Amino acid sequence: MLTNLHKKLILPFLVIALLAASCSSGASSQGGEVKLVLAAYTTPREAYRELIPIFQEQWKEKTGQTVVFEESYQASGAQSRAVLEGFEADIVALSLEADVIRLENAGLITHDWRSKPFGGMVSTSVVAFAVRQGNPKNIQDWAELAQPDLQILTPNPKTSGGAMWNILGLYGAAQRGYVEGYSADDAGAQEFLLAVLRNVTVMDKSARDSIVNYEKGIGDVAITYENEVLVGQQAGQTYELVLPTSTMQIDNPIAIVDTYVDKHGTREVADAFLDFLFSAEAQQVFAKYGLRSPDPAVAQATADQYPLIEDLFTIAHFSGWGEATPRYFGENGIFFQILGQVQGIQITE
Amino acid sequence: MNTLLAGNPETKTTGTPLPWGRWGLRSVAISYLLVMLVIPLLVILQDGMREGLAELWRQVTLPIAWHALKLTLWTSAVMVVINTIMGTLTAFVLVRYEFPGKTVLNAIIDLPLAIPTLVTGVMLVVLFGPQEAVGAWLKDQFDFSIIFAPSGIIMALLFITFPFVVRSVQPVLLELDRTQENAAATLGAGGWTIFWRIILPPLALPILTGALLSFARAIGEFGSIVIVAGNIPLVSQTAAVYVFGEVESENRLGASAVSIVMVGIAFILMMAANYLRKWSRSGSEKEVE
Repeated sequence: MLTNLHKKLILPFLVIALLAASCSSGASSQGGEVKLVLAAYTTPREAYRELIPIFQEQWKEKTGQTVVFEESYQASGAQSRAVLEGFEADIVALSLEADVIRLENAGLITHDWRSKPFGGMVSTSVVAFAVRQGNPKNIQDWAELAQPDLQILTPNPKTSGGAMWNILGLYGAAQRGYVEGYSADDAGAQEFLLAVLRNVTVMDKSARDSIVNYEKGIGDVAITYENEVLVGQQAGQTYELVLPTSTMQIDNPIAIVDTYVDKHGTREVADAFLDFLFSAEAQQVFAKYGLRSPDPAVAQATADQYPLIEDLFTIAHFSGWGEATPRYFGENGIFFQILGQVQGIQITE
Repeated sequence: MNTLLAGNPETKTTGTPLPWGRWGLRSVAISYLLVMLVIPLLVILQDGMREGLAELWRQVTLPIAWHALKLTLWTSAVMVVINTIMGTLTAFVLVRYEFPGKTVLNAIIDLPLAIPTLVTGVMLVVLFGPQEAVGAWLKDQFDFSIIFAPSGIIMALLFITFPFVVRSVQPVLLELDRTQENAAATLGAGGWTIFWRIILPPLALPILTGALLSFARAIGEFGSIVIVAGNIPLVSQTAAVYVFGEVESENRLGASAVSIVMVGIAFILMMAANYLRKWSRSGSEKEVE
């Protein structure tokens, strides 16, 4: 029997039920639309612009669901920090392992992302140089960077992951004895770093800012990723790529952010996107945009485009980011000590 | 006051909106001030002091931080000196002289306030970059790169704070009584004496106010400087760029510490400018009497 009270409650109840139904259908993966938020560093932007539509089509065919991507591209460290402080990214594709570990430590990533193919690394590149057309300063290898009257661009390691790769590439090459005129140890490497830092004229916020400045005509050499140079060349830039004999391999990790995929209910789609990115098809696309592939088969297939580096070392040479970051870039890190030496100022306690 | 606290009985009996409006308006304004200004400032203060005053001071006196603060202060100071002289001169010319295009120029003066500071930086790089027209010439003739060095910082700051002194001086100059100048002329005073002893004294306070405002604005500048300065620690890295670097590398304590110093300096400058403005207003009132 419907009392007056019941009659009064029916309409509000219906409205609330309708709202609840419409809200939940937005979050569930039952047909319709799903939104995936990708937080990436600046370098692979062009690659993702091509990869995303391919995945959207594949996913639509497979499940009938439309995936809408929201992408953000900024310096790896800044991106990592943004996610840490509340940017609800489902997937992070960053330049440095350390930037992913930061999210792991904060509990945002709880699964073992390294168990994915290639140790969780979706692309690689190497530290290389961009030089002006015709290589007027005749830069062949690291040693030439120390010549006087040379203007070098490299970003600031405080704000840029790319800068850290650059500096460690420089340091490692010297330490391993591949820089002529410098002893193959810490002392030699630091002497070489001092010589190079004397030549640095602009320290930008990110690797992308640095190459943009180089494109504006500033500086003679830019220490950068091979990838940045190749993408720039594809876009019509006239600078040339110089690969050193010994350099650092840049491994770019990708991971699902557990907290947010669970919150948004997007784990299935996010997983599928990652699997797609590790597939040979996607790896070939990355190769189109200047990124080397950790997949040995694809690396073999693209060997013409990506010559083998004589002495390729990784962060393992420095005992991992856990050791390297404080040692070189901490408060009294070696980098800042040498920077102080350039000006004759002591940085140590 | 009692009526505010007790809830105004007038609203209950007469229903007029005005008494509630006054009380409501005040609380809205004060809450807004608290939320937008006071609380963020207190949060920075608390963040910088969270490991004690000694640690705050240590962060501020780290060689790179200390150099950044010094660079910020001296480049802003040099800029203020140039801006004061040129701003006063510009105001004087705009008020006392006629020339074609004066209205347009007068309007353009405020433009730096509207232009995004990043755009200012890019403009300067395009103009003075070592590969561009003026920059290349300077490099060839004098081996001097005007940007990516402290000189670039000063130029960016000059552009950004251009209107401050001019707009501070202009209205006062417009109101000046010309009879004193004419009297001085009839007594045989030359142009420079008239300017120095009759025109300049009443302008002193507005000039100083404009100078303080431009200094306060300059020390916090980031957008144009990060493009144009080079940002090399211990060479061309200003305090604001240093703070950004520290935030990005997880030294928020250091960032807050240096920020507190900058906020403190700006606060003192604002109080001084405010005081000067009140003083100059009361001074001109006395003159009218």
